[in-house]
Amino acid sequence: METAKKFGAARSGQLLIVAALAIAILIASTSIYVYELTTQKQSAENDSIVELVLAIKTGLRNAAVSALANITQGGQKTVLAENLDTLADVYTRLYPQQICQIRYKLPNSAGYEDGVKLSWNSNNGLGVSSVYVPYMLKVLAPTFNATLNDAVNITTTLKVQGFCTVGENETLKTVNLTCMVFNEEKQAQAKWIAIYYEDDSGAWIPVNNPSITDWGNSTYSPHFTVALASDFVHVSVHVVDARNILVVANTTCSQAV
Amino acid sequence: MKGRNSGQIRIIEAFLAIFIIFSAVAISANLPTKSPNPANDSLASIGMQALLQLDSDGSLHVYIASGNWSRLREALNLLLPAGVSFNLRVYDAQMRQINMETVSNGGFNSQEITLVKYVCTGRSPEFRCYVIYLYLAVAK
Repeated sequence: METAKKFGAARSGQLLIVAALAIAILIASTSIYVYELTTQKQSAENDSIVELVLAIKTGLRNAAVSALANITQGGQKTVLAENLDTLADVYTRLYPQQICQIRYKLPNSAGYEDGVKLSWNSNNGLGVSSVYVPYMLKVLAPTFNATLNDAVNITTTLKVQGFCTVGENETLKTVNLTCMVFNEEKQAQAKWIAIYYEDDSGAWIPVNNPSITDWGNSTYSPHFTVALASDFVHVSVHVVDARNILVVANTTCSQAV
Repeated sequence: MKGRNSGQIRIIEAFLAIFIIFSAVAISANLPTKSPNPANDSLASIGMQALLQLDSDGSLHVYIASGNWSRLREALNLLLPAGVSFNLRVYDAQMRQINMETVSNGGFNSQEITLVKYVCTGRSPEFRCYVIYLYLAVAK
């Protein structure tokens, strides 16, 4: 009897150890497995949220480019807000559970009026067409919420410099210009260039078929000859960039020394 | 007595250990069926990336605006991995379907179809918004 008790006591210890080990392995493996699954799910969800944010940012940018192209070609400044509202409305209807919310504010400072700045009339050879839209993007995912504060800045800049030379006939002046086009301060291509000069009566006259050299690095060199009595020539250069955004810059070309 | 009991206990211990380990394996093996399918998530990601890539240079909007559905089909065929079936539908901002022509690379054989929603916008002075529904499945 005593032997049997001793035996039972000795073996129950082994059994407990084996059972404990098995349970520990079970708990550990299950925990690791569930953790890996959660990580995978989280990672896939993060990827899709990042892609959604990228798509919305692309949409906002396109809406701003479209609005600026429209406004510079004679459209109302309200087009910018209309485009942004249309985009926000489409996303709201696409995700009725309000997964993503777009809020924006059109600034009225630093030369911007309702988010639009058209600086075309200065005579310093610099023209700017720009829209600036600070926005807040809120993405509500099942496991987390993300808020992004960013801004869309679309700016086409034109820089014009020039001089004129007087021929044998003193009224004939050859004007040489250098025009540089930038999109967000990066070199950009011009799609269309038109040049006007101010005649003696003060009217702006288009230059017919100016000779334009494209240097390929966003720099263009137009030159043309006009008949003017004054010693200098007021020139206005109109450029449409590859995004259909019009920008105008004015300058005065004096005689080259 | 001692030898007989010892053998019985060892057999019981062995059975118990095997039972515990097998139950762990059985529980672990059943877990994936209750979890979301990561393949679907990655398919959605692949579809979204393909549309983003097409949209990055504005070609997605150009194909839609010009109704060039064959070029759009070719572009998606190139961007999506082989073995992925797709069917694309394009709607305007009022959710009226625009493409009357099927933009697809064949029928879906799979039971699991992933939907990717994408909003495509244009840069032309007249602003246009298109809603794209891209259905994806792994061809079997």
